[in-house]
Amino acid sequence: MGYRTAGVVLAGGRSSRMGRPKADLEWHGSTLLRRTLGVLARSVDGPLLVVRAAGQPLPQLPAQVDIIEDPERGLGPLQGVAAGLAALAGRAQTAFVCSTDLPFLHPAFVRRVLSVLTDDLDVVLPVARGYPQPLAAAYRVSLAPLVTELVAAGDRRPAFLFRHERCRTLRIDDAALLEDPVLAAADPLLDSLVNVNSPDDYRAARSQPAPQVTVQRYGAMAGNGHRGPRTVRAATLSGAAEAVGLILDRHVIAALNGDQISRDGDVPLASGDTVAFLSADAGG
Amino acid sequence: MTRPPGGYAGKALIVDVTRPDATTLPIGEAVLRAYLGGVGLGAWLLHRLGPPGVDPCSAPAPLAFVFSPLVGTPLTTSAKFAVVAKSPLTGMLNDALASSQFAISGKLTGHDAIVLTGRAATPSVLLVDGPTARLVAAADTWGRPAAEAEEVLKRRLGRGWRIAAIGPAGERGVRYATISHDGRHAGRGGLGAVLGAKNIKAVAVRAATKIGPANPDGVLAAARDLRERSFGPATAKYRELGTLANLLAFNAISTLPTRNFTSATFVDAAKLAAEELHELRSATRSGCASCSIGCEHIYRGRNGQKARVEYENVFALGPMCGVSDPDDVLAASARCDELGLDTISAGGTIAWAMECAERGLIDAPWLRFGDGAALLRALDEIGSGDGLGALLSEGSRRAAAVVGGGSEQFAPHVKGMEMPGYEPRTLQGMALGLAVNARGADHNRSGAYEADLSGDYDRLAGGDAQVTAAVATEDRAAVMDSMILCKFLRGVFDEPYREWAELLQVVTGWDIDDAELRATARRIVLAKRMFNLREGWVPADDWLPSRLLREPVRLGSGRDAALTPARLREMIDGYYAIRGLDHDGRPEGGALEDLMLMEGAPL
Repeated sequence: MGYRTAGVVLAGGRSSRMGRPKADLEWHGSTLLRRTLGVLARSVDGPLLVVRAAGQPLPQLPAQVDIIEDPERGLGPLQGVAAGLAALAGRAQTAFVCSTDLPFLHPAFVRRVLSVLTDDLDVVLPVARGYPQPLAAAYRVSLAPLVTELVAAGDRRPAFLFRHERCRTLRIDDAALLEDPVLAAADPLLDSLVNVNSPDDYRAARSQPAPQVTVQRYGAMAGNGHRGPRTVRAATLSGAAEAVGLILDRHVIAALNGDQISRDGDVPLASGDTVAFLSADAGG
Repeated sequence: MTRPPGGYAGKALIVDVTRPDATTLPIGEAVLRAYLGGVGLGAWLLHRLGPPGVDPCSAPAPLAFVFSPLVGTPLTTSAKFAVVAKSPLTGMLNDALASSQFAISGKLTGHDAIVLTGRAATPSVLLVDGPTARLVAAADTWGRPAAEAEEVLKRRLGRGWRIAAIGPAGERGVRYATISHDGRHAGRGGLGAVLGAKNIKAVAVRAATKIGPANPDGVLAAARDLRERSFGPATAKYRELGTLANLLAFNAISTLPTRNFTSATFVDAAKLAAEELHELRSATRSGCASCSIGCEHIYRGRNGQKARVEYENVFALGPMCGVSDPDDVLAASARCDELGLDTISAGGTIAWAMECAERGLIDAPWLRFGDGAALLRALDEIGSGDGLGALLSEGSRRAAAVVGGGSEQFAPHVKGMEMPGYEPRTLQGMALGLAVNARGADHNRSGAYEADLSGDYDRLAGGDAQVTAAVATEDRAAVMDSMILCKFLRGVFDEPYREWAELLQVVTGWDIDDAELRATARRIVLAKRMFNLREGWVPADDWLPSRLLREPVRLGSGRDAALTPARLREMIDGYYAIRGLDHDGRPEGGALEDLMLMEGAPL
């Protein structure tokens, strides 16, 4: 059945404490929503969805992102979860569902949570940094009817789902999450779960330095003393390119961690990433 | 006959080297316009002159040196020629390009192509001097490397002669022997063995006439513009480090085939990288005649020996065989040059043999991955025919059929041609290009890696987008290889078909446009496929080695990349659909009439 994993971002919240839509918040030359989607794109093998309120404007998103509308505003996050999972029926088996406002979400965190969702479970719920984290959790797509049923019945708090007899939930705490050495190295404080609810939160997050990444220029771009790896701080591919004096264009591409190739400057970076800048003119 | 269009002689010289006897084959404007020159015109000539089912190394098999309308103009990178024949390696149509003065002088003999048939009674050199052709004894060149033979002949023949020659491998019939001119090889598919089978050590040509363009001022203006653009960023890689710049970059993205495709990264890649060799060993940089790019980088090896280095020879003789000592790789590269061996097929076949030896399928305990001395010994044996040489001279497909034991599963070839240095599991558009191309596993006639490396597609998940891109790159290559322009120039064209049509307009005088040129591309690709069908192609020939479809390969990120048979099948079906072929890869409808291949079609 379709892909194994998908990503869902709930962008339809009221953002009342922030006073403006969180999806639009600037993040190192891009937007917070774009960053969150980019992190999910790096972490799942299947579709990406944004659930928004009806008619809600969104910043520019990559073409492969599906946008679905939450049919009814104000019913809380479970309504968004239901809408997202329902839209994935037949397309993916599981989904990482999160809010827009996780500026330090790391791909290693997403992969860790998804990896724990085995066939005998329906939800993996991180209970970390002191709280349950239903909007940074993994859900089985087949839960959609149950979640819809609960919302319709007025049981709109996520806790109703997690304690329901038809929902097999695994709660996973900080220590259990960090048993994954990759996550422990990439995000030892689980900053992936830091969210920004107010302008002060946003300012504090924005004042943090960009992630530390390793960058290497190859081929003709490695001339004039540019050989070998360099450590820079950059939140996006274009930021990393700029840090080493390059511009992504038809002749310059970037490979992230030796994996996918891109020239989309908005692709988000996370601490520990390695970026290779290559010539797109590869004949030989 | 009416006057030929600008840039053309309107005829081919057909030389039967048995007698010898030279005749002229008129080629009408309709055919020239339909096939342009180079590989396109070569495909048409092979259809017309090659007896169906002919043994490529038998006397009746034709071998054509084909020129192009652009050769001889000041357009940068246009001094190229194609050598076209049925391949002894694949049994299918084979074309290979080489460059420089032979192209110019060959065309100025007054012919768009020089075609050899027959077999000389004794080792000979064919001299083409304008409309005349004659043989002279090759006794003092037989057995020598091609470059030495060229020097001997230049001294003997005097000024003005340009020579394409084979090395000892071609004389001995190695199925991947090359023909070379001025150190540049028409490398792939064993054309050197075809020439050797005709007892011809070399073909020497001398200019005897002029062939001007239709609009000389227009050509000069276009040449100035193109030359200027050739100094831009699209060619920087070729100018500054040459194609070897690919090696370390490909290693970083897990697309450097290593140890016979058991890995896509090579732990010692940095030792062989252009960035490293350029600093420590770079001797000179060179270029073909009429070229403003100058992509050739020549490095010093052990004892000061110089070797012309490109990505493909370093990949094939280095990571593919697990060899990391640059001295060994440079020596192996130089040895291939001396023998006249295609480095890709030599490296691929030896890598296969190394794996066979390590698995106990071949009794050669000396032959191991990573052993540079073993690599050099294997090359020597291929050159001499001693030891494993006779087996390895056959190429990996035939050798695997002899050795058996499952070695067919990891013989690294498509249609019998060994694979170039592009890992299909991590470049899945290229996987399709390699599978379906008429020449076999080939990166020059299908450049689908461009799509994989563009950042516009998921290179690890081949699908419809890659199919479209693979068709497009194959079409563009068909035009560039027929006009002929070097493909290292391709990045400077913003609207390639329109710009190429404009170049052809000023050279030929035709009112050709981009739409016509796109049709020309499709015609050339189809003509090649039709030749192969005639020679026994079956659907299973459009496929990849089993290893690549069964074993995932590990990326640097820790993820595994896999190409499934179902995904490849889906892409091939998509390719056939776009090409107007049926499910078995055969043309549908009335496409054949357009090819002008039938009896009675205009010459």
